[in-house]
Amino acid sequence: MEIKALLIIAVNAIFIYNFVLSRFLGICPYIGVSKNIDSAIGMGFAVVFVMTLASMATWLIDFYLLRPTESNIFYILFNFKEPPDLMYLKTIAFILVIASLVQFVEMVIQKMSPGLYKSLGIYLPLITTNCAILGVTLINLDANYSFIASIVHGFTAGLGFTLALVLMAGIRENLDMAPVPKPLKGAPIAFIMASLMSIAFLGFSGLKIG
Amino acid sequence: MSISKELFKGFYKENPVFRLALGLCPTLAVSNSVQNAVGMGAAVTFVLICSNVIVSMIRHGVPKKIRIPIYIVVIATFVTIVDLVMAGFAPALHKSLGIFVPLIVVNCIILGRAEAFAGKNNVGRSFIDGLGMGIGFTLALMALAIVRELLGDGKLWGIPVLSSGYEPVLIFILPPGAFLTLGLFLGFFNWLDIKMQK
Amino acid sequence: MNDIVKLGGILLLFSAIAGGALSVVNAITKPRIELQKKLVLERALTTALPMANKDAIVPVEQDNMLYYKGYKTPDKQDLVGYAFVASGKGYSSTIETMVGVDTTFTITGLSILQQVETPGLGTKIEEVRYGESTPWFQDQFVDKTWNGLAVDKDGGNITSITGATISSRAVTKSIHDGLKQLEATVRQHHSDM
Repeated sequence: MEIKALLIIAVNAIFIYNFVLSRFLGICPYIGVSKNIDSAIGMGFAVVFVMTLASMATWLIDFYLLRPTESNIFYILFNFKEPPDLMYLKTIAFILVIASLVQFVEMVIQKMSPGLYKSLGIYLPLITTNCAILGVTLINLDANYSFIASIVHGFTAGLGFTLALVLMAGIRENLDMAPVPKPLKGAPIAFIMASLMSIAFLGFSGLKIG
Repeated sequence: MSISKELFKGFYKENPVFRLALGLCPTLAVSNSVQNAVGMGAAVTFVLICSNVIVSMIRHGVPKKIRIPIYIVVIATFVTIVDLVMAGFAPALHKSLGIFVPLIVVNCIILGRAEAFAGKNNVGRSFIDGLGMGIGFTLALMALAIVRELLGDGKLWGIPVLSSGYEPVLIFILPPGAFLTLGLFLGFFNWLDIKMQK
Repeated sequence: MNDIVKLGGILLLFSAIAGGALSVVNAITKPRIELQKKLVLERALTTALPMANKDAIVPVEQDNMLYYKGYKTPDKQDLVGYAFVASGKGYSSTIETMVGVDTTFTITGLSILQQVETPGLGTKIEEVRYGESTPWFQDQFVDKTWNGLAVDKDGGNITSITGATISSRAVTKSIHDGLKQLEATVRQHHSDM
């Protein structure tokens, strides 16, 4: 695949179809972990990491196990008359892959780099039920991305999530000092801020690319 | 707790969206029309009831260590059933909800109820809890959708209700409107809380 | 170690039961899902080619282009037009449109097959105005050819939808490009004969 197409995927994933502000994926951590910049960056990196790995793993699962094509492993192994269509198992297969992946990443990081584990570790268990991860793998599938395109999309969608999260954390650190009406403190004002950020990001949809 | 209390707690006191702030992604994404909101609410309610019942049934046989993956398998199974049935019988709705149908798997309300309620209570109560929480979720979605569709499109359930002279406030059906409406709703319920405590 | 094997076994058992249950549901719903897809296609073809007999529309594949030939009578003798699927990237989805043309490649009808655009904005490509029975945006295409087909913002003859230029442009451009290709493909084939 040419570089230009990959660049378009990247710009789209970060700005135009930002996972948080335009696609509404990963809202829970967006509100929950955006109280200070340090933890926002930690969470952001954990998401980028897992999203990239998940895009890779689910692409392989989809291509070799689920899709009814000549490269289906069951078709090759068991001499079926025609490739079996197991696409209906995608949801269950993907979520199990993501859950195991998160466990595995947690174990590896704990062994290899205790320092990194200390900063990322607490965010990893939260990631399994972060809908942005399952979301990115399902979007890859819908868009029929190639292996490389899936990885680029997973990585840049994670960057887009991190961007939105860190921006939000920056605003909320200052918001603590602002005289916000009592009923709007916390989540409500965070959503109103998100609305304003989303308006700003809407401007990117006017970008003419391609 | 009495049965009716168990049922009604999800409507207001423990409303999953407005009080517990759970399941926010689909809340924001599909509240752009009342039809979508009701369809999504029905799908989530079905999954919630089924997963609550099954989790409650198997709660004594499941080893503690792997209960979460097993819950996820149970939930994913019912989500796939909803996905397939919807594709066969309501293709238009299936199209417009898009990836948010399979994403019901990671809706924290469902795993949350399995862990916090169904894993500790009998089948009957778990059923009622699932039903109540499902309806509570649907009501919250509908509340948002009514505001957004009415202001943003001048319609309800796809039918024009405001006079043709009304110029729709487009921003309400775009992403920013979703955040704004939810933020104001959450603020309203906080305000109500503060008022009632006084 | 023994523990891991046991836990793994239980998890595997649950997954197997889930997989089994789903394969049953899949077997039941699959024919229904395929029927739905077929119905959508049939309905779109009759809207696109109103002058053709609905039992006499046949798919053709030529030079990597899939299109349909429509005949007036079931015996498939008198060709009255062609239909094809135009697809273009809209604001939030790929918009697929079934387009029908007569033998002079003038548009006779169209029908949106698939779109998940923003409700109230992009979805207006399918809006039917009060008191009318067909979608106004799509009606504009009827009796036009690919020549000069573009939205008004690009100096063309199609009025775009307020606030949804991207969706309007996607539909218009995909029809323009597809129709041009169809005409070239069909003419090429005819001159071969």
